[in-house]
Amino acid sequence: MRNTIRVSTVLVGLLSLAATAVQAQSANIQALANVYQAIAVTGARDLDFQVVFPGVNKTIAVGDATSGRFDLTGQASANVNVSFTLPTNLVNGGNNLAIANWTGCSNPTNTTASCSAFTPSAGNTARAFSGAGALFVWVGAQVQPTAGQTAGSYLGTVTLTAAYF
Amino acid sequence: MRRCFLPLLAAAAVCAPSLTGQSQVTGIRNLNFGPVVASVPSSVTPSDPIRSGRFYVRHVLNRQVRLSFNLPNRLNRVGGGGNMPISFGATDAIAKGTAPTSLPVTFNPNNPITITMSTSADMYVNLGGRVAPRANQQVGSYQGTVTLTCTFF
Repeated sequence: MRNTIRVSTVLVGLLSLAATAVQAQSANIQALANVYQAIAVTGARDLDFQVVFPGVNKTIAVGDATSGRFDLTGQASANVNVSFTLPTNLVNGGNNLAIANWTGCSNPTNTTASCSAFTPSAGNTARAFSGAGALFVWVGAQVQPTAGQTAGSYLGTVTLTAAYF
Repeated sequence: MRRCFLPLLAAAAVCAPSLTGQSQVTGIRNLNFGPVVASVPSSVTPSDPIRSGRFYVRHVLNRQVRLSFNLPNRLNRVGGGGNMPISFGATDAIAKGTAPTSLPVTFNPNNPITITMSTSADMYVNLGGRVAPRANQQVGSYQGTVTLTCTFF
């Protein structure tokens, strides 16, 4: 009988342990961030079609002297997405002058020689700052005056947006 | 009489849930804010498939697990030289079982939560957050440790 009580006590103890078994475990991850130098974008040169004539399209290529140019500075060697907001018309009061066929090119140095071409209207374009934290971007386009295009000065705004990725 | 109890003891040993080994928590992805710049707060949502932090938790079907985070309130610059505030909001954690019928449970990682493993024996716990670089935040890499403690019932 004494043996029975002892065994029963052990059994109850084991069952009790089983019923209340609790186990804790921990695991870690890291929270990470890289603080980069803020990006600065400067509109360095206007895209200028100069004189155009009614009914005659005119194209400015990225390598032309009057192509548009943006100068960017940022974190050395960092990846950056470049995107554009582009006008579909240049405006003179109530008159529009169609603009299309945008072209783009970029280079870590300030020359269009051997620059990397891209399509500004295609959304984000991945690029990288130079080891000195510089990036240069050129844009060209074509204006398409109608035969009855009203004479005058036409203006539109091209916006470049850059963000690290 | 002893004969009668031995089979019972054996049965108790078999039936007792052996939590060691079958219950686990593993960190499988860092919470990565990527590039940030001074003065510009940056957030990562817990549903972000790339930048959110992620843990894997495995337990026993229909049993409970208590999730408790130990969260940093600043990230320290690697190599020294400062820190950067980090915070976690009321919807910055999501737990979701791996079964097709599992539904996501959104919770505040600042507070513990107890979850019953009702649809699957394992789940993923995702974590988002927000960093707020100061105006004079020094350029560099910052990091802090996030700990998830699971108490398995």
